[in-house]
Amino acid sequence: MNLQNMAPNAKRSLLITAVFGAAAACIYLFAVEPSESDLAQAKRDLEEVRTRHEMMMRNLSGADKVKERLENLNAGLDEFRAAILQPSLESYAMGAKRLLDPLAAGAGLSETEYEELPIVALPVPKRLPVQLFARRPIRLVCRGSYQAAVSFLLRVEKEFPLVALEAMSVTAQQDPLAQRVEFVFEWPVKGGRTKK
Amino acid sequence: MSAKAYHLNLLKASERVSSSPVRLRVMLPVLAMFAVAGAVVWWGSLLGRVLMAKSSIQTLQSEIDTRKAAYADVMEKMNLANELESELEQLEYYRGGCRSYGGVFTALAEVMPLKIQLTRLEIPPPPPQSLVPPGVLPGRPYTPLWGPTGNVESVSLVLAGRTPKETPIVSLMESLESDTFTNFISIVKDPRRSDQSPKVRSIRQDTSRRGEGSRMLAFEIEYRLKDRRFAK
Repeated sequence: MNLQNMAPNAKRSLLITAVFGAAAACIYLFAVEPSESDLAQAKRDLEEVRTRHEMMMRNLSGADKVKERLENLNAGLDEFRAAILQPSLESYAMGAKRLLDPLAAGAGLSETEYEELPIVALPVPKRLPVQLFARRPIRLVCRGSYQAAVSFLLRVEKEFPLVALEAMSVTAQQDPLAQRVEFVFEWPVKGGRTKK
Repeated sequence: MSAKAYHLNLLKASERVSSSPVRLRVMLPVLAMFAVAGAVVWWGSLLGRVLMAKSSIQTLQSEIDTRKAAYADVMEKMNLANELESELEQLEYYRGGCRSYGGVFTALAEVMPLKIQLTRLEIPPPPPQSLVPPGVLPGRPYTPLWGPTGNVESVSLVLAGRTPKETPIVSLMESLESDTFTNFISIVKDPRRSDQSPKVRSIRQDTSRRGEGSRMLAFEIEYRLKDRRFAK
């Protein structure tokens, strides 16, 4: 096709087509395309903000439930907090002595001797807590009759339901009223921390 | 007169094959203008949607900002609740492992035959705990586990004593199989099983004392008590 041989009308038509075609291409390339990517980005941002907002609103609407849950958990923990063995003079054995000596004396056990044994870890829940708890065994060696030992054990179990008997032995001596009695009681204690 | 003679030939030969009666030199500029108009409308619609999205973002963001403090407070409480829940769960494991033995020993005194002289009654301590991760070779450095992999600890009761004859031992063993002790003592009589209970560790002539000892039988029986299960 030769432009010089074309009719003026056809030439004008071609020129107009070329100009508008170029304009359409420019609008597409420099306006529509960037706007498309702007829109995609804005949609992503909106989705992200909306998700955050929804989560926030959901959590805020559950604030009362969280408060109630905290109260229930604290109520459940109070029993354990009261049972956790606190060291006395930096010693758990002293802490145990302070609690158990009156019961031992009341049951008729004498010559009590307390010893702190190494801590024993408890199984960990699936969601690892920051504050771990453990079992703290305390060995108590004393003298007394079998009846006194059992009476003491019953008192401990009644007074401190969360103190567990880990080991025990009653070894016969010449005097049946002064057998060698050994208990290993364990208390819940605060263990290590999983995070600093 | 044939039809061919009156046919008006209004189209050029090149236009005759076109599907459109409108000439190409008109169609092309019109289509190009439509393309421009379409592109402008498209762009406008995109701009509008972008503006709407940005305005929604701004609205939501400002709402988020105004509730930030309240949200932080709730999140802190939720984290605390999660922490307390985990702590409570671990302490519940501890409670699950608590066993009372006072009742057993009281009942034991009641069923103990008079002819038996107990020399030792023992609940042995559990074996030392291992916090070595599974699969670690001996001597290799490792990071200890936070807690044991298992949650069951077996407990046994050893009764050692002396008696002039076998019958009181049999009587004692029968008593320990009675309903009174069902909740405390496991009875597994299959000798092939590792958790067999009771297990007579020894029964022999007592040689510890001269004279009297030769007429006495020394025995040692091990019972398996209910496991300590550190679970909820």
